[in-house]
Amino acid sequence: MIESKAMVQLNRQYERSYSLEEPITIKVVGVGGAGSNALDRVMLDGIDAVEMVAINTDAQSLAASVATQKVQLGRSLTRGLGTGGDPELGLAAAQEAVEEIRSVLRGGNVIFICTGLGGGTGSGAGPLITQLAKENNALVLVFAAMPFSFEGRRRCQQAATSLAQLRSVADAVVCFENDRMAELALPRMGIHEAFAAADLTISQSIRSIANLLQHPGLLHIGFDDVCAVLRNGDARALFGYGEAEGENRAHEALTRALKSPLMNRGELLADAYHAVVHICGGTSVTLGEVQIVMEELNRHINEQTQIFMGIGINSKMGGKLSVSVLSSLGDGSVRAVQPPPALHAIPYQTLPAPVPDTGPDPARATVLPDRARIAAGPVPVSVAGEGDHGTTGPFQPPPKRAEVMQAEPASRGRFDKGEPTIIDGQNLDIPTFLRKNPENR
Amino acid sequence: MAKDNIFAGLEIGTSKVCVVVAEARHDGTVKVLGIGTVPSRGIRKGEIVDFETAKRCVHDAIVDAEEKSDVDISEVYLGITGGHIRSFNNRGVVLLEDDREEIEEHDLKEVCKNACDVSLPEQNTILHTIVQRYYVDGRDGVLNPVGLFGKQLEADYHIVYGIGNRIKNAIRCVKELDLETTDVVINSFATAQAILDKNQRQLGAIVIDIGGGTTDYVVYVGGAVRQSGVLGVGGDHITNDISIGLKIPTARAERLKIEEGNVNLGTTRPDETIVLKDETGFAGREVEREVLNQIIHARLREILEVVRRQIEADQKSLDLVGAGVFITGGCSQIRGLESLAMEVFSMPVQIAHALPIAGVTSAFENPQYATALGLVRYAQFMHMDRPAPRSIFGRLKRFFFA
Repeated sequence: MIESKAMVQLNRQYERSYSLEEPITIKVVGVGGAGSNALDRVMLDGIDAVEMVAINTDAQSLAASVATQKVQLGRSLTRGLGTGGDPELGLAAAQEAVEEIRSVLRGGNVIFICTGLGGGTGSGAGPLITQLAKENNALVLVFAAMPFSFEGRRRCQQAATSLAQLRSVADAVVCFENDRMAELALPRMGIHEAFAAADLTISQSIRSIANLLQHPGLLHIGFDDVCAVLRNGDARALFGYGEAEGENRAHEALTRALKSPLMNRGELLADAYHAVVHICGGTSVTLGEVQIVMEELNRHINEQTQIFMGIGINSKMGGKLSVSVLSSLGDGSVRAVQPPPALHAIPYQTLPAPVPDTGPDPARATVLPDRARIAAGPVPVSVAGEGDHGTTGPFQPPPKRAEVMQAEPASRGRFDKGEPTIIDGQNLDIPTFLRKNPENR
Repeated sequence: MAKDNIFAGLEIGTSKVCVVVAEARHDGTVKVLGIGTVPSRGIRKGEIVDFETAKRCVHDAIVDAEEKSDVDISEVYLGITGGHIRSFNNRGVVLLEDDREEIEEHDLKEVCKNACDVSLPEQNTILHTIVQRYYVDGRDGVLNPVGLFGKQLEADYHIVYGIGNRIKNAIRCVKELDLETTDVVINSFATAQAILDKNQRQLGAIVIDIGGGTTDYVVYVGGAVRQSGVLGVGGDHITNDISIGLKIPTARAERLKIEEGNVNLGTTRPDETIVLKDETGFAGREVEREVLNQIIHARLREILEVVRRQIEADQKSLDLVGAGVFITGGCSQIRGLESLAMEVFSMPVQIAHALPIAGVTSAFENPQYATALGLVRYAQFMHMDRPAPRSIFGRLKRFFFA
């Protein structure tokens, strides 16, 4: 018995192509070098009726892109060269091309923005472009790739800062950590295969969401449902995609979807407030298989989680069955849709170490690649002129889990009275885990 | 103490006060007669902060040791530590007068005095001088210059100094219990006496004693002490960190550290938790094991890194250490410390305890007693050997009992 709190809208006319009253325009935007690569991959894998836009400072990369629409940033500032890894330059270059960006994004209802963070264009221009995309009240979903930890502290910090800014502007951000690339490819594989696998993951996610929105299936999930799922909490999104064929395909497809690196191994799914599940297959999909998928999924999900289920039939799938799971973390409080703030409102600045009294989670401050938490954690973002988001601050897991450490302002505990031990300018009486931040390691 | 060759070592530590009574035999071995130990109160970071309480603890420890060893203790070798202690190396020179050709004992005192003739920061006095090597007429490798012919005697010393008043507190504490302080020894040096054998000292070794209130370290190169130091950070800091981080009372944190403490990161399954039982015995809170480990790891890594930085300040030291790092003290028992230290120092690491001694067998295996046992070894060494350090007591008398 499938327990679903969603309304079941059965679409009896699934054989015929169904034109929506207002066709949903989907745009896929690749920002920066990494973004363009992802874009090219999406094209390669095939996707129906989306507009592809490439935005970059580097003219050469732009020329090589397969996108139909291209915007060059910083025509006079960077003159066709890249930013050299400088996000401030990236931002300035984007500011130069604001009108062009606006015009190319206009009319999009759903805008996917793909970018790689840590360098100049993606990190610097990304947040601004996202902001511009939101101007027309589109649903903006960002796919961001985080640098390898071996790329160095500086890039990781730049990436973290940008990620925080993106989270505050976009409806949802799906974060892909390069460090997890090892999960996609065997160590023996060629490195180009590893990168290709990463691009493939992002492409799969974009394609399946686009698919879900454009092709109403047997059980339909609407654009507004997806908006409801994504526009809440602190905009951290999870996505998993799995495909399988053969006898046990339902179970296998779901397992693969949960194991997806963008899904964080299904751990955080338990904390999700909403989830969208889309099952797609050829005409051979059975009710039994749907049941298998949903029952197993329910095991990973909290009782409170609201599930939107969709089923799509696509004869091109043949014998394959695919499962896509999209959800967002957060407490479900609805974020007010912000009127777009003034254009200069997102200055780029590298943030200093997290200030203790806003309660960053020190456990997450140390970079541990196989930990489920995303490296940057909640970092205060100074966005001039923007009011209170309605976000609820640091992510609080539901009470049944172990209590998470919270930082206290410079407490010395039992050493409060007495001469402090000061070595090399640091007061060693203050707990080390409070003083440590990604800078010292 | 009627017999000449029974010694008592007293270590007034932050977590425990320990008295070791031992007999030094003529064949060079040491036999432990008894160990008195009492949990410490009134001591923080290795220094006395509550005189009366500390005195009572010392008294209890002495009584305990006397009962166990059946010896009346009248004088002790006192171990000292404290974050204020610093050290440096210096050379002293003495030229023999024209009419003399043979080096005599009093020349050793002279050369030591010469080496110690340095200006120290205010309130600081020299606490301990440890001879490194002698040179006669510029020639190195002289072990005992007394009786040799020569005109010029030089000697390198490792000089340890600190704030005089803080040390006076400990000495007065002992005095008020009707005990004499035969000698005052830096804890790190004493620990090394217990832990290292001659070979290891010759090859070069680093001894790190991570105790409750302080971390004491000493570096041996070529058989002589080259560097030493004390950090005012120890096991209590780890407990404090845990207490603050997990929001549990100190006593609970201390138990958690001892029972479940582990420095290794990434070895636990995600969400593996430790259940803390509350007073009634039922399961109280749960804490994530990984979080506990991270707290401990961060603190211990920092301690080791600071020690390493301080040693590296004298450029060549680390390269000259052949036998590796020896870690002892109560905190050395934390699981996983060995590999962390190996990572920090990039050389072999051993979690060490005192070398085997006759007598109470388990005594030397407990790293907490390493320092006190070392004091006794030092006493034995002093008693057998006669050169310069004997004069330290005279010097001390001048500084402290003036």
